[in-house]
Amino acid sequence: MAIVKQRQASPISQDERRHIRDLTGLIEQLSDPNPIARRWAARDMANYPDSVSALAGQLDRETNGTVREAILTTLMLIGNTDAVSALVRCLRSEDAALRNDAIEVMKNMPDAVSMIIRDLLRDPDPDVRIFAVNILESLRHPDVQKWLIEVISNDKDINVCSTAVDLLAEVGTEDALSALEALKGRFSEEPYIAFSVDVALKRIKDNG
Amino acid sequence: MADNSITYEDFVKFREFFYRKTGIYFEDSKRYFVDKRILERIEATNTGNFRGYFNLLRFQASGDELQHLINAMTVNETYFFREEYQFNCLVNSILPYITKTKTPGSLIRIWSIPSSSGEEPYSIAIYLTEYWTGLKDWDVEIIASDIDTNILKKAKEGRYSPRSVQYLSEGILKKYFKPLPDGDYQISDDFRQAVEFTHVNLFNLTDTKPYRHFDVIFCRNLLIYFDDQSRRQAAEVFFDALRPGGFICLGHSESMSRISSLFKVRKFPEAIVYQKPEEL
Amino acid sequence: MSKKRVLVIDDSATVRMYHRSVLEAAGYEVSEAINGIEALEKALAVQEPFDLYIVDINMPKMDGYSFLRQLRQQPIPQVPAIVVSTESKTHDKAQAYEAGANFYLVKPIRPDDLVAYVCLLIGQGGHQ
Repeated sequence: MAIVKQRQASPISQDERRHIRDLTGLIEQLSDPNPIARRWAARDMANYPDSVSALAGQLDRETNGTVREAILTTLMLIGNTDAVSALVRCLRSEDAALRNDAIEVMKNMPDAVSMIIRDLLRDPDPDVRIFAVNILESLRHPDVQKWLIEVISNDKDINVCSTAVDLLAEVGTEDALSALEALKGRFSEEPYIAFSVDVALKRIKDNG
Repeated sequence: MADNSITYEDFVKFREFFYRKTGIYFEDSKRYFVDKRILERIEATNTGNFRGYFNLLRFQASGDELQHLINAMTVNETYFFREEYQFNCLVNSILPYITKTKTPGSLIRIWSIPSSSGEEPYSIAIYLTEYWTGLKDWDVEIIASDIDTNILKKAKEGRYSPRSVQYLSEGILKKYFKPLPDGDYQISDDFRQAVEFTHVNLFNLTDTKPYRHFDVIFCRNLLIYFDDQSRRQAAEVFFDALRPGGFICLGHSESMSRISSLFKVRKFPEAIVYQKPEEL
Repeated sequence: MSKKRVLVIDDSATVRMYHRSVLEAAGYEVSEAINGIEALEKALAVQEPFDLYIVDINMPKMDGYSFLRQLRQQPIPQVPAIVVSTESKTHDKAQAYEAGANFYLVKPIRPDDLVAYVCLLIGQGGHQ
């Protein structure tokens, strides 16, 4: 026995990708009992922007984490507003892994996300508002600081505000200083707010 | 004229950002090293000062500057037996684990990507030949891929500078390399013929589809240069290229915590590696 | 007596800094991880195991519950964990205990409360 070169062609034909790869075939495959076949269908659907509703539907039913990841990657690559709507639904999921994966994917969709981010930042559920701030963390968009200042000036929930302060410590400029000071006054009894606002103020002032 | 002051708060802010992106954390003691490289990049990018540079780093859509900076912050040199503890892990832990569950006589497949100029796949071939007793019972296939066709040509030629082979023992060098008149060394024809070199673009689904049923993937010091979206896509490719229970090895400064949640963390005595679950 | 070692797992740099400052002042030694995968890597890599994990729930790549479930399967000494979350829904609490948490605390946590819970689980911090 030894180090050898391939004795046979890659055994790709024998497996789960053998089915027809047009959109109708892929949609059928997306609900195959075999999770490997579902993963492949989800990955191959990246070439079909029209597949979003099928992907979203499967996402609601899908129990396998690796298939869900493939679906989310494909929604990210398709990147249109329908794809973002499907991801927003995930933010409300009871499954922490799915919620957080949706946040990560949305960070990479600046154009589509910027259309709906204000709604998310005003969502009645404070957890969704926190996730919206999390999305802003890596979103390459010029209005990020503006949105964060709105959050710390208006939001009643301490954890939403403190998540926004964390991010301002990294992206904030002088424009955020007065809103940060005001927030400290609004939650004067909270040691964590005092701590995080001081960190942010120090970073911003030191940088100026 | 660049403003060449980086304050401690700048340093801390940069450190947190870089840690979040790469998993590399700079202690205070590294401050001189870090400042120096940031100042070089401020100069090279004409951003004027830390704030301008940091904004470029955070908001540049292409992510090119982050790549440049990672390059400056990490030593990216390829040579034979680089990060040898992983090859140790391969022969002493990973392969014994894999062969326990495989039908005797079946093929073990290893993928080295990026192959670069060939040091890594040839190191694997040498290591298996020298240190893995299992090689008498098993066939191993080593496929080495890169996106760069020029570097693949170089890899197939297998000619290396004395610097590139400096960590090989005299014995190994004598046994498997031929000294050339210009002072370089050429790896033996047996190895050149044993390793299969192929051209692959990880982001082209048609390119990557045939890469399946691998037992081990070495992907060292590549993903750290990718942005989040590309890392995610690459992780999907590797996941589907592995057999259930197959392993992936990353570079020593890379952590799966910045790349993907598809794999399980596995501890072996020699190294921490990542495994595709046995069952999906 | 050597210091008790705590691993703080949170994707927010400010939260990690805050927990670190509170726990170090109380005499504990603190390490940090940005998500569940890095925490597993650190827990598996250290020679001497940590004495306690303080775990956030919502984190990228690997959330707090998944971390605890995988941690509890690892062949390393098992130590207590405190889950710290912004969410106070009851199903989250149940999930946390099921995954192997010892306490579930809702953010923000006051410094003296944090120290009290840590002390309850692993005793006082080591001497300075």
